[in-house]
Amino acid sequence: MEIVVFTKRVPVTQEEELRILEDGKAVDLRKLPHRMNDWDNYGVEEAVRMVEKGGGGVTSVAIGDAEADEVLRRAIAMGARDGFLLETEEVLHDPFARATLACNFLKKEKIPFDALFTGVQAEDDQFACFGGMLAAMLKIPYAAQVIGVDSVEKDHLVVRRELEGGLQERVKVSLPCVLSVQSGINEPRYVSIMGVRKASKVERKVFKASNYADNVKSLIEVTKWAYPPKKEGAAMIAGDVNEVCGKLLGILKEKGVYQ
Amino acid sequence: MSAGYVLVVAEVRRGLFEERNLDTIGLGRELGLPVSLLLPENVNGVDELLLDRVLKVSADEGTFLNPLVMVSILVKVFESQGQPDFVLFTHSSSGAECAAYAAGHFSAPLVTDVSGFDQSTGTFFKSYYSDKVFAQFKSTSSPTFLTVRSGSFRENVTRNQAAPAVESVGDIAPAEGRTFLEYVEEAGGAVDITKAEFLLSVGRGIGSKDEIPRYEELARAMRAVLSCSRPVVDKLWLPKERQVGTSGKTVKPKVYLAMAISGAFQHIAGMKDADCIIAINKDPEAPIFQYAHFGIVADVNKLRDKLIETVKGS
Repeated sequence: MEIVVFTKRVPVTQEEELRILEDGKAVDLRKLPHRMNDWDNYGVEEAVRMVEKGGGGVTSVAIGDAEADEVLRRAIAMGARDGFLLETEEVLHDPFARATLACNFLKKEKIPFDALFTGVQAEDDQFACFGGMLAAMLKIPYAAQVIGVDSVEKDHLVVRRELEGGLQERVKVSLPCVLSVQSGINEPRYVSIMGVRKASKVERKVFKASNYADNVKSLIEVTKWAYPPKKEGAAMIAGDVNEVCGKLLGILKEKGVYQ
Repeated sequence: MSAGYVLVVAEVRRGLFEERNLDTIGLGRELGLPVSLLLPENVNGVDELLLDRVLKVSADEGTFLNPLVMVSILVKVFESQGQPDFVLFTHSSSGAECAAYAAGHFSAPLVTDVSGFDQSTGTFFKSYYSDKVFAQFKSTSSPTFLTVRSGSFRENVTRNQAAPAVESVGDIAPAEGRTFLEYVEEAGGAVDITKAEFLLSVGRGIGSKDEIPRYEELARAMRAVLSCSRPVVDKLWLPKERQVGTSGKTVKPKVYLAMAISGAFQHIAGMKDADCIIAINKDPEAPIFQYAHFGIVADVNKLRDKLIETVKGS
């Protein structure tokens, strides 16, 4: 199988305080470290496992600026054969614009594929819709939140989709198709710094997004960035570790769960 | 031409109308247009008085909640009812799946995970960076597709005096490219975290799998049951049966002690009804502090060690 995996470079924001600039015009991401979107890690791993078992190759595609090359090196270190950067001049906030760009690129460059993988969502914008839009534009089937690939046949796959509350559905999807891969589907392999260094010797191709710009437009626009609405919030317990520990156990006693 | 209504696509699982449909209907009310509900046959638990029109599709739920089929259904609805101004789905596994595919098909604007609407500017609030900031989005064409965050708009639903008109959309052929085979239940484990009165719940912020035994020790010492957030299960630090959240279990303990959990909304949805939520996190900006009753900003593993020492020593 030929599998194309879309990978995105995202800022790491878990323990960062994010600042909104210029009265809501932008979010300051300049000083943040970046990495491969966690869901894409699972997508690359799943694709690499499938070709290791059944033959073929994995191509990792990133849409973004020159820095996004970082995730291509990582994907190659994980076992991808090729890395393609679709280099954009500006951030495309609307997934519809990104999906149109990807669709134009795949068609114009006649990239061969049996399946396209994406992560379920990107950690930064959490849109969870790029893969579905792309599938519809290419007029091929789509399955989101794939948590298991049960069988790989010549013309179709049988996959399990994660629903809510511990329920899954098993569906049959014809090839070629688009799958969005859920975290937890596998255990992504460890990638060493040496591995990435070695991977960087493999040539990555750069394609200018402006060559695939037909109908690439945004149908939604950000008018403003805002901090989350403040709720009442928690009563904060302050003090050194001894004090905090004592107060915490006091609350647990009061609530009747600890003697 | 738009026909001036909101189309709400129902999420149905095993014959039941999911509660989060109330949030899509609630947003429909805020948008100020008549609300039509689209749903498959044989659905229990629908309060039709919440709606202005009901559109029934002759299909079972496995066929209905299929993105390829959904496109054909919407084509039929747009033909018979006119084009709606908004098409709303739940922000769930199947809701987001169908919305993405349909928006791609119709070249229509889509904002996902909508948790707020500003009447004055007509903009939709969408979470970025796990709720650390929100973008306000304006749609530039119609119909606008939206997926709606569970728990965001249900207080806006209103009941009509009279039952709505019910219309049939007719038969829908299954899609060849994708077919539903069966539901699969994840295997149950030895522990049922939904029965616990006191949950000690850990998140990815504890750092590594090596920290887990010490949390197990603390849970034993305090007579709490150990649970966790999704990343902990994804990383195989704890089994799936321990997972709290939308894709795991929904819990309502007396006390929920969250250690190193930042509070993605999928997690919050699974524990927000606990009587008392106590959050401990290194990051003072962690969204979980917005939902907790008590909060502590601390090095979580250090505080854990102190708790073990104190509890065992007493």
